[in-house]
Amino acid sequence: MSTSAATAAAPVAVKERPRLSGFMPIIALVALIAALTVADPDFLTQRSLTAVSRTAAPLILLAAGATIVVLCGGIDLSIAALASLSTVFLALWIPNLGGLATLAVIGVATLIGALQGTAHVLLRIPSFIVTLGGMSILSAVALVVSGAGTVRVVDDSTVKWLDLYVAGYVPMSFMVAVLVVALIALLLKVTPLQSWVSATGYAESAARLAGTPVDLVKIGAFAVSGACAGLAAVMLVSRQFSGGPTMADNLLLPAVAAIVVGGTAITGGHGSVWRSLAGALVVTLLRVGLPIVGVPSAYEQILYGAIIVVAVALTLDKSKVSIIK
Amino acid sequence: MTVTTEVAPAPRRSSRRGASFRDAGPPVALIVIFGVFAALSPQFRSFGNVQNIVDSAAVLAVVTCGITFVLMMGSIDLSAAGVMGASALTVSLLVANNRNGNDFGFFGILAAVLLGCAFGCLSGLALVLLKVPSFMATLGVSAVGLGVATLMFAGVQPNISDAALKGWAVERFLGFSYLTWIAVACILLGWLIQRYTRLGRYAYAIGGAEEVLTLSGVQVRPYKVAVFALAGAFYGLGGVMVTSQLGAGLVQAGNGYDFSAITAAVVGGTLLTGGRGGVLHSAVGVLLVMVLTNGLVQVGVSPYWQGGVEGVIVVAAVAAAVIPQRRRNQVVK
Repeated sequence: MSTSAATAAAPVAVKERPRLSGFMPIIALVALIAALTVADPDFLTQRSLTAVSRTAAPLILLAAGATIVVLCGGIDLSIAALASLSTVFLALWIPNLGGLATLAVIGVATLIGALQGTAHVLLRIPSFIVTLGGMSILSAVALVVSGAGTVRVVDDSTVKWLDLYVAGYVPMSFMVAVLVVALIALLLKVTPLQSWVSATGYAESAARLAGTPVDLVKIGAFAVSGACAGLAAVMLVSRQFSGGPTMADNLLLPAVAAIVVGGTAITGGHGSVWRSLAGALVVTLLRVGLPIVGVPSAYEQILYGAIIVVAVALTLDKSKVSIIK
Repeated sequence: MTVTTEVAPAPRRSSRRGASFRDAGPPVALIVIFGVFAALSPQFRSFGNVQNIVDSAAVLAVVTCGITFVLMMGSIDLSAAGVMGASALTVSLLVANNRNGNDFGFFGILAAVLLGCAFGCLSGLALVLLKVPSFMATLGVSAVGLGVATLMFAGVQPNISDAALKGWAVERFLGFSYLTWIAVACILLGWLIQRYTRLGRYAYAIGGAEEVLTLSGVQVRPYKVAVFALAGAFYGLGGVMVTSQLGAGLVQAGNGYDFSAITAAVVGGTLLTGGRGGVLHSAVGVLLVMVLTNGLVQVGVSPYWQGGVEGVIVVAAVAAAVIPQRRRNQVVK
C-alpha cells in the first residue's frame, strides 16, 4: 500500500540526523543531576528526588500530550489554559459526582481538545491560532464559571489517591504520568498510528496522497493533548485541594520548553513522548536547581525563553523548510 | 478529492473582488456593530462613552501598529506582553519615581522604546540567524522580557511621579487624552512607513512572495530583523503608555495585549499568511475590537468574557479569510 512508502521514508530521515541527538535529553538530565549534586551534596537524596518527581508529574503529562500535536507538525498553546479550566470543573463537580468527576473532567478536556483539532482541520486555520484563540476562550470560561476565584475542594477523598506515595517513596502522580507516557508510546508503536503521525509531520501532502487519514490523526492528536491536560488538572487539584481559573497557566512555557529540550522537532515528524518525559525532568531540575546554585528564581523566565529559542534552533529540521516565517 | 489535484489559479477578477470586499468588510462591520449597540444601550451611544472607547483603544492601537508589520511579512509576534512589561519597568525606574533618584524624563521614555526595539531585534535575529520559526522565537523573547521585568521589579512596585508622563493619560486635547493623540501619530507614522519606505514595501513583498524577492536579489534578512525591531519599538511605546495609565510600572503591563493586537489586526483584514492588510486596516480592527468589548459590557455581559469574545472573533476572522484560498492551501500546520 502507498502508506508503507511514506513510512519507509521516515526511518531514513531519522538515521541521517545525528545519532547523538537521540541521547541529548538523557545526557542533559544526567549532567544536570551531577552538577546539582556537586553544587549541593544534599541534593542527591531520596527526599529531594521524590519532591522533584512529584513536581514534574503534571508537566510531564502536559508536555507528553502536546508532543503528539507537535509530532504532527502543529502546536497546542491551549494546554495550560485547558488544565486550568479542568481544575475548576473538577473542583465544582466533585461534590456532586464524587469519583466520577475525574473521568468526567478528562472526558470534557478530551472533547475540548478534539473540538480544537476539528476547527483546525475543517476551517484550515493554523494550529497556533486555533489554540491561541482556544486559550483565550478557555480562560474566559474558567473565569466566568469560577467567578474569578479559587474553588475549594472540601472533600478530596476521591482524588487523594494521586497524592499518595507508592512504596513510600515514589509519588503516585509521577507513576501515573510515566504510565500514561508508556501507554501513549505503546499505542503508537503497536498500531499504525506511529507511522501515520510521523508521516503527517514529515510531509503532510505526501501522507495525504498516500492515503493516511491526516485529518483524523490531527484531531486525535489534539484529543490526546486535551486528555493529558485534563489528567494533569486532576493531579493539580489533588495536590492543592482547590481549583483555580489561572492555576496551571504558568505551565505553558515549561511544557513547550520540555518538548523542544527533549529534541522533538517543532517542524514535526521527529521526536517521541519519551523525549518529552526527559525534557520535562530537565526543565523541572533547572527550576529546582536555580536556587541551589544561588540564582534568584526571577531568572527562571529568562531561562525558559532562552531554552526554547536555543533548543528549537538545535532540533529544527532545516532541510525541510526553505522559508521560515 | 480536493487535495489530489492542483487547483488552477483562480481568475484574476474574482480575486480582485475578494480583496475589495475584504477591504470594505471591516469598516462596514464596525458601523453595523456600533449601530446595533447604540440601539440596544442608551449609555453606549453617549458621547462620554465614545470618548471612553477611543481613549481605551490608544495602547492597543500602538501595539497593533507594530504587530501589523510583522503579520504583513507572514510572521507572527507573541512577544508584546514581555516587551511591554520590560519597557514599563524600564521607564518607571528611569523617570521620577519612588524607588530611586532618577529623573531622566523624556530620555527615560526613549530608553524604554529603544529597549523594546532591542527585544524586537532579538526576535528577528533568532528568526533569520537561528532559523527559529517566529512564533517560537517571540514566545521565547516574551519570556525573557517578563524575566527582565521581574528582575527590575524586585518586589517593590515603582510608582512614577513624573508629571509629564502621568499627564499623558489624564490631560486632554480636543476632548481626547494625549495617549489617543500619540496613538493617532503612531498610526500616521506607521502608515507612512508602510506606504513610502523601502522597509514597508518589502514587508509586504516578503509576505506576498518571499521566494520571488530573494530570487530577484533582495537581501530579505536585514529587512526581517528591521521589521521586528520596528514592531518592538511600538511595543516599547505601548509599555510606556500603560505605565502612564497605571501610574506605576508593572510586570503584567502588557498582559493580553499580544493576543488582542493579533485579533485586532486579523479582524481589520490583515492576513496571517502575509502580503495583505496594513496599518489603517488594523486601526479599524482595533476600533472594532474595542467597540465590541465595550458594547458587550454595556449590554450586561460579564467582562470576564472579553478574552473569550476575542478568541471567537480571531478564529472566525482567520477562518473567513482563508475561505477564498481553501482549495489552494493544502497544508496547514
